[in-house]
Amino acid sequence: MGGLVSDRRLTYKRNMKRGNLFFLIVVIAAALGIAAAASVMHNGLSARAKPTHIEAMLAHSARRMAIPSGAQGTHNPVPASSENMRNARLHFADHCATCHANDGSGDTMIGQGLYPKPPDLRLQGTQKLSDGELFWIIENGVRFTGMPAFGGHHGTQEDSWKLVHFIRHLPQLTAEERAEMERYNPKGPEDREEEQEEEDFLRGAPSQPKAEPAHPRR
Amino acid sequence: MKLRLIAVLAFAAFLTNAVLAHGDKKHVLGTLEKVNADSVVVKTKAGKSVEVKLAPSTSYISSDGKAAKASDLAVGERVVIHATPNGESLSADEIKFSPPGPATPSPSGGKPKQ
Repeated sequence: MGGLVSDRRLTYKRNMKRGNLFFLIVVIAAALGIAAAASVMHNGLSARAKPTHIEAMLAHSARRMAIPSGAQGTHNPVPASSENMRNARLHFADHCATCHANDGSGDTMIGQGLYPKPPDLRLQGTQKLSDGELFWIIENGVRFTGMPAFGGHHGTQEDSWKLVHFIRHLPQLTAEERAEMERYNPKGPEDREEEQEEEDFLRGAPSQPKAEPAHPRR
Repeated sequence: MKLRLIAVLAFAAFLTNAVLAHGDKKHVLGTLEKVNADSVVVKTKAGKSVEVKLAPSTSYISSDGKAAKASDLAVGERVVIHATPNGESLSADEIKFSPPGPATPSPSGGKPKQ
């Protein structure tokens, strides 16, 4: 009889513990939900905000998990020759620098307007990814970020492998390389005109009269 | 009164041309008036003196497109500085410079073909 009572007490305690745990989970989930809703209501869905540490941590973990394990160990089949490195550098200037900046810092008008902001490619967060992981990201993009998939419709896989070499080189990018890249950055007519004006000034040439802009500046 | 207003507007336009806004960045064109250890003073085309701070991350490019050092800068040289406003001051990201003297031929014609 005494054993039956103690069994019932044990079961009751166990159920209470489970109930308490369930209640705690519900309270935490509700608190997180309320916090997220309050944040959205306060800031709207503005892309100007910076992701919180928790958001960034979850996003990094999700990114790692999203990359197939087979892709992680893939080795770069393209040699890091000076010709390939230059091709990659100019390709990066033309296609990637609008968001990532020529030096990989992500410090551009478009990059800083994205949510999440593009990572600084020179730092460990990117540099510690394997070649295969970097290649996979270039080819497939990253969902819910501004990183598009460049595979399939644009360029070849060889181009993406060359870009992997260039990303590895970013921490050692020289001022000369950056200056060359600037000439390959996508530019509108007004930027080209401004660049020409600067070049003329450095050469000591007289200023050319300014042409009427094709569209008004905002 | 009208004439004064026009003069003020024209002067403002002239200054804007000398220190061009470029998003958050500023482009300063002019001649080096002073070269200090941690800053330079540029006399712009409008005749205004603008101080720009030098940073360890500042890159220096000479007229032949080669990387250079802060110690290569000299008073009288023409400079194009891309700078980031930092409160009241400007911090140089990149300084392109060329020696004073007569005009030199253009090294390129804009964006080269790949």
